[in-house]
Amino acid sequence: MSTWIVIVAAGLGSYLFRLSMIILTSRLTMPPSLERASGLVAPAAFAALAAAGVAAACGGLGITGAFAPLTAVAAAVIAVLRTGSPQAAILVGMPTLWVATALLPS
Amino acid sequence: MVPWLAGIVPFGLVIGVSAAQAHIPTLAGWLSGPLIYAGSSQLATIGMLDGGAAPVVVVASALIINIRLIFYSATMARYWRGTPRWWRLVAAYLIVDPSVAVGLDGYQRLSRDRAHAYYFGGAVLLWVCWLAAIGAGAMAGASLPGWLHLEFVIPLYLVGQALSRLANPAQRRAVLAAATVALLALSAPLQLGVALAIAAGLTAGLTAQVRR
Repeated sequence: MSTWIVIVAAGLGSYLFRLSMIILTSRLTMPPSLERASGLVAPAAFAALAAAGVAAACGGLGITGAFAPLTAVAAAVIAVLRTGSPQAAILVGMPTLWVATALLPS
Repeated sequence: MVPWLAGIVPFGLVIGVSAAQAHIPTLAGWLSGPLIYAGSSQLATIGMLDGGAAPVVVVASALIINIRLIFYSATMARYWRGTPRWWRLVAAYLIVDPSVAVGLDGYQRLSRDRAHAYYFGGAVLLWVCWLAAIGAGAMAGASLPGWLHLEFVIPLYLVGQALSRLANPAQRRAVLAAATVALLALSAPLQLGVALAIAAGLTAGLTAQVRR
């Protein structure tokens, strides 16, 4: 039950954010610090979720088991930094994961 | 809008796959599309629910990620003064990164009435494609074989997105601090680690901006 409530609550809050300044804009001005922070939310959120996601994927696998996912992440990092394309992470990382998993069966 | 669709459809598929593979009802994961309607926030919500985070932590994290919508709301408000209330209620619901970008382009090039239609048409097209992509991902994610390790698509997607946002020192600090705190706080109770990491990233990034 809480899953549904969480999604509805997050949805309702998000809609209120969307509507907020359309209703209040004539009465309020945005604090500059909040405006600066908005450009940093996406990088911080993606980095936090990425680190937690990779750690969760490797958790409990041991050194040998974690080899394939960590190799895939390393390949993805190199691919994104070299190409500048975020899609390169999946395009390079997933095949690397499959090959590394095949080479080192658990 | 078409170039944006090429970028958001794979993201929608990833979210659909994550909804199918998470330990939550797939329909609930799909409903995050029409209800939350913001990709990174949906991904965080599904991931944290899957990890067993406390409901209040999940909602708070989703809203922190979506705080940018307030700025988009302020941006669009100036163009929507004088429009009917029902129109503003629906148009506001459709506010998200690509619709705002396309809408602003329209308001700079077209007459006000044509720009309203341009925003609305593009935003509705985006909404339909987004929900269809999530649905397709959810169906595919539930039926594809386990050896594909599709659960790893999401961390890789996030790695790509984080690394593509290193344009200035503030963003680099935000990314580094958020990733570090997320790893250090892995064992934090109630899955608070992600929320703490986002807060740490924001603080580090803002500190860099103030020092410059």
